[in-house]
Amino acid sequence: MPASAAPPALSRRRLLQAGGASAAVIALGINAPDAVADPPQKAEDLFALGIASGAPRPDGAVLWTRLASEPLAEDGHGGIDPHPVGVRWQVATDVEFSQILRHGQALAQPELAHAVHPRVEGLEPATEYFYRFLVGPQTSPVGRFRTLPADGAEVESFAFGVVSCQAWYHGNFTAHRHLAAEEELDLVVFAGDYIYEYGITESNLWRQGAEVTAAHTVETETLEQYRLRYSLFKTDPHLQAVHARVPAVAVWDDHEVQNDYSGTGSSTGIPEDLFAHRIAVAYRAFYENMPLDVEALPDGPDTDITTGFDVGSLARFSLLDTRQFRDPEPVDEADRQDEQRTMLGAEQEAWISRRLESSPTTWNLLASGVVLAAVSDDRVDMWDGYPAARRRLLEALGTASNPVVLSGDIHKHVAAEVRADYEDPDAATIGVELVCTSVASDGDGAKDDEYTEDWLRHEYVRHYDGRRGYLHVRLSPEEMVSSFHVVDWVEADDTAPKQLSVRYTTAVDDPGLIQV
Amino acid sequence: MSPRPQAVTGLDAEPALASITLTWQPLGWDPLIDHYRIYAVRGESAPDGRNESELLAKTVYPRFVHSDLDPAGETWTYVVLAVSDAGRRGRPSAPVTAASQPSVIATGDEVAAIGAFDGRTLEFLHAPSGYANIPEQFPDALIEYDQGVDDPGTAWPYLLPGPGDAWAGRTAYRARWTLTLDEAPSADHDLAVWLVDTTRLGGILRVSANEEHVVDIELPEGATRGSREGDATVPGSTLRRSFHEHVVPAGLLHAGENVLELELAEGGWVAWDAVGLFARS
Repeated sequence: MPASAAPPALSRRRLLQAGGASAAVIALGINAPDAVADPPQKAEDLFALGIASGAPRPDGAVLWTRLASEPLAEDGHGGIDPHPVGVRWQVATDVEFSQILRHGQALAQPELAHAVHPRVEGLEPATEYFYRFLVGPQTSPVGRFRTLPADGAEVESFAFGVVSCQAWYHGNFTAHRHLAAEEELDLVVFAGDYIYEYGITESNLWRQGAEVTAAHTVETETLEQYRLRYSLFKTDPHLQAVHARVPAVAVWDDHEVQNDYSGTGSSTGIPEDLFAHRIAVAYRAFYENMPLDVEALPDGPDTDITTGFDVGSLARFSLLDTRQFRDPEPVDEADRQDEQRTMLGAEQEAWISRRLESSPTTWNLLASGVVLAAVSDDRVDMWDGYPAARRRLLEALGTASNPVVLSGDIHKHVAAEVRADYEDPDAATIGVELVCTSVASDGDGAKDDEYTEDWLRHEYVRHYDGRRGYLHVRLSPEEMVSSFHVVDWVEADDTAPKQLSVRYTTAVDDPGLIQV
Repeated sequence: MSPRPQAVTGLDAEPALASITLTWQPLGWDPLIDHYRIYAVRGESAPDGRNESELLAKTVYPRFVHSDLDPAGETWTYVVLAVSDAGRRGRPSAPVTAASQPSVIATGDEVAAIGAFDGRTLEFLHAPSGYANIPEQFPDALIEYDQGVDDPGTAWPYLLPGPGDAWAGRTAYRARWTLTLDEAPSADHDLAVWLVDTTRLGGILRVSANEEHVVDIELPEGATRGSREGDATVPGSTLRRSFHEHVVPAGLLHAGENVLELELAEGGWVAWDAVGLFARS
């Protein structure tokens, strides 16, 4: 995790450290201006998995695509022959590409499932750009991104969406359809569970009209299975539309590897020395399928997806990894209360404390794969299972101005105040937590369900909605407006209209949630 | 282009009841191994690693359990090769031959059994996921089953809870199995306890016959999924089956009513596949 706000550039040191793929493979997947490669033999659409941008900076962003003519080819290679393919990219100020400002080439290679991650640099801050990829005579759909404002610059407004829990098989990505159509949108934050590893069978395939082949019916375990799972989810046109619309940043939760895994430990008793092999391929597939900087490329079963960026002087985003470094589920109450228990690991804990303490921005946003708020002692997969680590994080949050926690995992919209100490009813409110419901996980859902009371019995929990949807947040120097959107159904089709579940404002330096 | 994966070395086959466990040396992280491919043929001639009809399984782990083998024992010969992230295949390992251990359910004569030895809990009470009913229906943590009177669907819950199970009151449940023998056995018998899954806690299943201790079965760490899923034979199942077969000395059994008791003395629940008492043929 970088010590500074800006992620470091692709370094030779990092390239040489990276295991699991040679430095040359990695580098060529990012920048290969002089490579000469045969065009692919087939003429089908090579961009069936869409395009994306991510890791935004004031001077550019990472561009992403993964070539696939047969996205659901069961070997995970998308129907592309096992040879390198030259992928040119262009960035322009207009959607017609009459003014191409930057261009380059990366090499799509079979080692990385023909994914490319070029980083465009040298652009103007706070400016909208368009990008596309070209392979031989084929041109990708056009994507757009807005560069971040210059460091320290005053920013009038910054808007982002938050989504989580995309169980493709449980329903349509109607939430993405509406998110992609938002008028004000600069970024999307994926708060975890971008894919699910479960086998897709008759019992959980609730997306009506959808069918899958036998290859999808088993839990993902091999690299080809994880690649195929990303492919299945990424064929969704609404998810592709969101990616094409704005840069994406992402944290992961458990389902990118295995339900409820902790650190290096499986939840199903697979010995750690074996499970490391599964973690390695799952983390690799995450890198291959997301618009990430090279820092997120795993070295075997180890990787670093923590990152952060500033939006001028308005906001600092920090993306946490709440899976890879956590202690196992507590064996008993004494273990749960152990002061040494960690959710983030010592290094990440120190990193986030430094970022919060030193932050010069008005707002400070943390993305966490799991909910921070205290709900019940038995919700041990969330921060509730790590009370000492939560106290340390709350202390760090208290040093920053206007902290906002973004989380997911629970498949419900929840709006809550962050208290300096959840066990003290008189503790001060120091920020807010916005928990985003699922895009599709758990199917249609209903506003109220059997868990409503668990959450709303706490004074600091202000809202609960068990339907599918997304969160839209607009930040300004004066206030944060958080809008919790829902749709009434996702299983039957993708036509459900968007509804506002609730909207809050949070004034600067006055933490809390005021319903509007 | 990353290098072709190396040939798999160190392939070893460990015979067990109704299964053979294969292990081999992992190949490291560069190139990243997409998966290992296990080719197998019955008998002692080796597969060549190219005939896809002989592909038994793919796994990301350097370990594979070939399960569901005939309880009478089967002989197989295996080779394993690695596939890299780029889809390149390494050369196959040297072949290894192994024979699974025969089970008493094939070699013995069944005296009595509860359930079918089939990798499923589905024939039992509250299967495959109604575990919350068990403490309600058995508040004294005692399950009683009379052979010839009771049947698995109404009298034998699919889980036996243990002290590690908060949902069941953290109690050592006992399953008391009463069966009648026409005459006192002249030779030792065998008790087969086949489990579909256990929990991450493992534990000890204490077996007694007519109040005499027979054996403490050490339970392996399981997948903790058998409380919600009842069929370990579906492709890709993550349930972790285990097989336990132990001698019940002839002297502990007698003519007339006998009581075999299975107590989950330590750890978390077991999910039954079947339990059987077998005479030696």
